[in-house]
Amino acid sequence: MKKRMLATIMTAAMVLSLVGCGAAKEAAAPAADAPAPAATEEAAPAPAEEAAEAAVEAVGGDVNGDGKIIVGYISKNTVDVFHATLNGAAEERLNSLVADGTITEWTGILDGNTDAAKQCDLAQDCINYPCDYVIILPAESTASDPAVTSMADAGIGVIVVNSATDSTDSAAMAFAGSDDVYAGELMGNYVMENVPDGGVFVHCQGVIGNSAQIQRGEGMNNTIGANSSWTNAADVPCDWDASKAVNTVDDYLAQYGDDLKAVICDNDDMSSAAQTECNAKGRTDIVCIGVDGNQGPLQMVKEGTLGATVLQDGAGQVNAGIDAIVAAIKGETVEKSIMVPFVLVTSDNVDQFLN
Amino acid sequence: MEAKKKFYQTDAFRMFMGKYGIGVVLVFMIVAIAIMKPRFIYPSNILNVLTQISVNCLIAYGMCLCITTGGIDLAVGSQLALVSVLLGQFIVLREMSLFPAIILSLAAATLFGFINGVLVAKFDMAAFVVTIATQLIIRSIAQIISDGKGMSLATPEFKAIYSGTLVGIPYPIIYMILISIVMYILMHWTKFGRYVFAVGGNVNAAIASGVNVFWTKTLCYTISGLLAGIAGVIFTSKTGSAQSNVGLAYETDAVAACVLGGTSFAGGISTAPGVLLGAIIIGCIYNGMNFLNIGSYYQYMTKGVIIIFAVLLDMVINKKNR
Repeated sequence: MKKRMLATIMTAAMVLSLVGCGAAKEAAAPAADAPAPAATEEAAPAPAEEAAEAAVEAVGGDVNGDGKIIVGYISKNTVDVFHATLNGAAEERLNSLVADGTITEWTGILDGNTDAAKQCDLAQDCINYPCDYVIILPAESTASDPAVTSMADAGIGVIVVNSATDSTDSAAMAFAGSDDVYAGELMGNYVMENVPDGGVFVHCQGVIGNSAQIQRGEGMNNTIGANSSWTNAADVPCDWDASKAVNTVDDYLAQYGDDLKAVICDNDDMSSAAQTECNAKGRTDIVCIGVDGNQGPLQMVKEGTLGATVLQDGAGQVNAGIDAIVAAIKGETVEKSIMVPFVLVTSDNVDQFLN
Repeated sequence: MEAKKKFYQTDAFRMFMGKYGIGVVLVFMIVAIAIMKPRFIYPSNILNVLTQISVNCLIAYGMCLCITTGGIDLAVGSQLALVSVLLGQFIVLREMSLFPAIILSLAAATLFGFINGVLVAKFDMAAFVVTIATQLIIRSIAQIISDGKGMSLATPEFKAIYSGTLVGIPYPIIYMILISIVMYILMHWTKFGRYVFAVGGNVNAAIASGVNVFWTKTLCYTISGLLAGIAGVIFTSKTGSAQSNVGLAYETDAVAACVLGGTSFAGGISTAPGVLLGAIIIGCIYNGMNFLNIGSYYQYMTKGVIIIFAVLLDMVINKKNR
């Protein structure tokens, strides 16, 4: 008998743990349900609140005609600093849209786990939810594509943010991202301006095959790579990993000594670690630069220990994507491709980006 | 008193609960989620969950065999990557037709499963160590073959392996049903199945009764390789991309499905339907958490808590029944 009681209690505890975690956000939903009809103001005779559930016709931004406007959010992951910042910006903005009644609810941040197959599963979850619009930050350009196309086929307005998938142009409602080639060019030009005499530089790459890695490298090669006073010692695969960038700095300092003038990194986790290593070895003259604008590197720019970093405006990208949804809900035309510029951050403008 | 046993005291009921008590957990979970989010039990979402779990379920069957013999197969995630890359090479670069390309890829995965089995069974090496090492080797081979690059494999015929349907039921569910039947027969109706449980339960007793331990263990890992290979074909069709960086940490979900399904790490205890139930529970956890708006940072914790409670509950219900 005691066993049976224990079993019952455990079952209850298990179910409660599910309910408990869900409850916090669920509580916000009823409040959001009420203002929903307000969003459909443009639609001629707005369906009665009770009938809204059964309404078949699409009204306003209600793509699937269930009387609610639901936005899905499929993240790339929730652990990288850059994506955590970006997800945070999305969360804040989408919550405010729920609060002002523009949308009925959103799914919360669905964790793509940097796994394209997982993103395909989440796409199916969003279709079944059922979402009207979904924002997706693809993990892979090819392998995440079925997630985009399956949602588009189901009639969902898909907004691809940060990096494009293969059929983003044809299937997605909009794309909001940045031109990584330009980021590479910013880095190359910055190094050339700050070390006019030229010399040897080394390039710390991200994970090979990643579109950001390829395009940033391309921009770098267009500028400093094409300059005759500069020699590229090597393109070293560092997998976005700061500790591998430090190893690279040590290796090439040992090899080139004073001739090594610059370290160009595909992200600024690596460039800030590289600069710290150079500074520790008394080589503050070496210019290290990378892309992203994470808080750590920005803090170093503020302190003057790092010359500059290239900020990828993740919050700007995701907000541009959400703007596209808001425009679609209001019935305005949506720009197909929205480019958010990279910003070169130096001690002059660092304050506006530091939290 | 003794003559009139209540129904839950009968041996038949106890045996049933001992094997499938985890089903009760599943029912509770489905009811709880459905009350909060009725769309969870719409047929379209049920098909969605079952389609999603197919890859994990196939891997878990192989994993279950290995765990039942007292081992484990941690190389399955890499096997997915190997099969994915090989399919790309055969179909895109060598322009082979689908059938031979799939057979060859499956043969490669099966071969590596066999190698795992030989290393574990013949040299009596710890399965954990062997498969963690071959995991690295297999992934490295996949990277060498593909040169680290992904390639698109989105021909309609190949995509149909995942997205096709038969009378409204997605193909992956059909593969899963077929393989579930085969696994049930293999584990519970054949001599090989009994040998697997014998080897896992008490290896010395098994040897004394004339069971060929080497072949039993080797076959388990070989089958695990083959099943991971089939899962790899489905997986590759799902993403329409052949690349070597896929399937990372897929072994954890497979192990979780086995454990939820009552597979004992001590060896000798498991059931095929239990594994299926375990895989469905994992699928419901993933899908249900998304439907319930559980924040992503809390999802891993929720998953961990549910696994611990589910296994504890199973143990409490069945303490007397095993």
